Amino acid sequence: MLPIYKKELQSFFFTPFAYTITALFLLLFTFTISTDIATLTDNVARFSFTEIFYNTIIYFIFLLPILTMRTFADERKFGTEVLLMTSPVSVLKIVIAKFLANMTVFLFMIAGSVIYPIITEIKGEVVYSQLICAYIGFFFWGAMFIAVGMLISSFTENSIIAAIIGELIMFMFLFLDDFSQSGFISQYPKLRSVLYSFAAQPRFIYFSQGFIRLSDIVFFITATIVLLAWTYISIEKRRWKRG
Amino acid sequence: MIEIKDLTKYYGTNRAVNNISFTINDNEILGFLGPNGAGKSTTLNMIAGYLPMSAGSVSIYGTDVAKEPVKAKKNIGYLPEIPPVYPDMKVKEYLSFCAGLKKVPASKRKDEIKRVSELLKITDVSGKLIRNLSKGYKQRVGFAQALLGDPKFLILDEPTVGLDPNQVMEVRNIIRDLKKDHSVIFSSHILSEVSAVCDRVVIINKGDIRAIDTIENLEATFSSSLILHIKVKGQKARSANIIETINGVKEITSIDDEGSDIYAFTVLLNGDADTIREKLMEELIKNNVRILEIYTDKPDLEKVFVELINKPVKKNGLSDLLDEITPAEESAQPESTDKKEEM
Repeated sequence: MLPIYKKELQSFFFTPFAYTITALFLLLFTFTISTDIATLTDNVARFSFTEIFYNTIIYFIFLLPILTMRTFADERKFGTEVLLMTSPVSVLKIVIAKFLANMTVFLFMIAGSVIYPIITEIKGEVVYSQLICAYIGFFFWGAMFIAVGMLISSFTENSIIAAIIGELIMFMFLFLDDFSQSGFISQYPKLRSVLYSFAAQPRFIYFSQGFIRLSDIVFFITATIVLLAWTYISIEKRRWKRG
Repeated sequence: MIEIKDLTKYYGTNRAVNNISFTINDNEILGFLGPNGAGKSTTLNMIAGYLPMSAGSVSIYGTDVAKEPVKAKKNIGYLPEIPPVYPDMKVKEYLSFCAGLKKVPASKRKDEIKRVSELLKITDVSGKLIRNLSKGYKQRVGFAQALLGDPKFLILDEPTVGLDPNQVMEVRNIIRDLKKDHSVIFSSHILSEVSAVCDRVVIINKGDIRAIDTIENLEATFSSSLILHIKVKGQKARSANIIETINGVKEITSIDDEGSDIYAFTVLLNGDADTIREKLMEELIKNNVRILEIYTDKPDLEKVFVELINKPVKKNGLSDLLDEITPAEESAQPESTDKKEEM
């Protein structure tokens, strides 16, 4: 498992990939922050990091699928899937190793954003409880969407298609709570509550408000595990169907 | 010992590999021979545990590859048809990754990589990106990967494709050296290559095994008999009947219609070619058959191979062969048959 994890990290960090994607994220993050600072007035000299994180989520919809698009698609494209599958490593371990590598790059991306609370701390005051919760929420939310991206990547050998479909699905997830509260769905309260319970967005809001709810953590962890298991099944199924 | 039993693979309803069984003994190089699309790669992928089989089993030193894949795969080194290399990696990074993947202990990794690099003569490119390597080098890097960790059983899918003649010789020598303490299955569609390296061959076409034997036996079976080529003008049926009645003629393997009433017979002989040939000529002339050409030929291995692959269904006899060129031909008159053929 470790060699695959290391190899994945190499492919991210020995190439400009991890740095480019992190730079892009920080650029977008900085845009949000600088607009917030620019709109500060003299009498309300405060802005919320958690809000910034919440706003940044929309950027991740573009960035995370780019991070995960190559995970399995490229292995298939280069024929290296055979190498992994015929080595004495189980498919499950391959999936987990790749997930951990993607998570590492994700952590690297959000680690860069820590610089802003630090600067704020020097010049003002930071509400740590909220900040830490926001980071925890970000972490779980990211884990779930990395699992989504990996699943999509396991369906195709074209990484661009994997990225586009991943983005589409993340958009759908993002608007699931709005959709479940629309007039049409509200006619069916049961359907509404089912849809709403799948929405990741409202759960993220709790985190960003400084609440850690067990149900939210369980939701994200369960969703991640289910998606990774599905990825595993998808890879195995493809081998059976291959022709 | 590696045992392949009743291996079958369906792609949907299409049967790619049909119920094949063979064994690979210790310290043996087994050639796996067949034309393109015969099911070679599918079979090798199943043996390596990459593709699941639809039916049958593969046992590698007593471990079933489907039931205990991780354990079985420890003994396998696999070079697939397309070398499984990462274009964005350097050769040494790649080999180090593969060594880890194959669970070579960290302390031995360096020596192991050095060993295979020297064996395949890729030491000079170890710092290069795989993307920038030529096809031959990529192939050798892929081969090096298969040898890492010194697995006892090697599966090589067309290992010499893309190499220049010099490299082909080198790789063949490496494979021959591997025989000392490995079992090797080695696929190819080139017979001369297989005969240069292998102890036994399995010949496969369209998913079916056509022959399993040593090269010597295959050669002996076919070269003990001589092939006689006769070209006659007209009187196809009568010539065929005459040829068959001659003592020493084993069988007529084919009759080709070459147009303008000329027929080429290929005849397998048993015994002394000269006397048979003499007798045959005599008989044919006596019956007023016009002979255009006659010569003997020794079947070489390449022909044996083509024969085995292209003649899956054995002809039942002379009538079948005659039917092949003129369906429902009964008439002894060549003129009338010609008209039928032209239509």
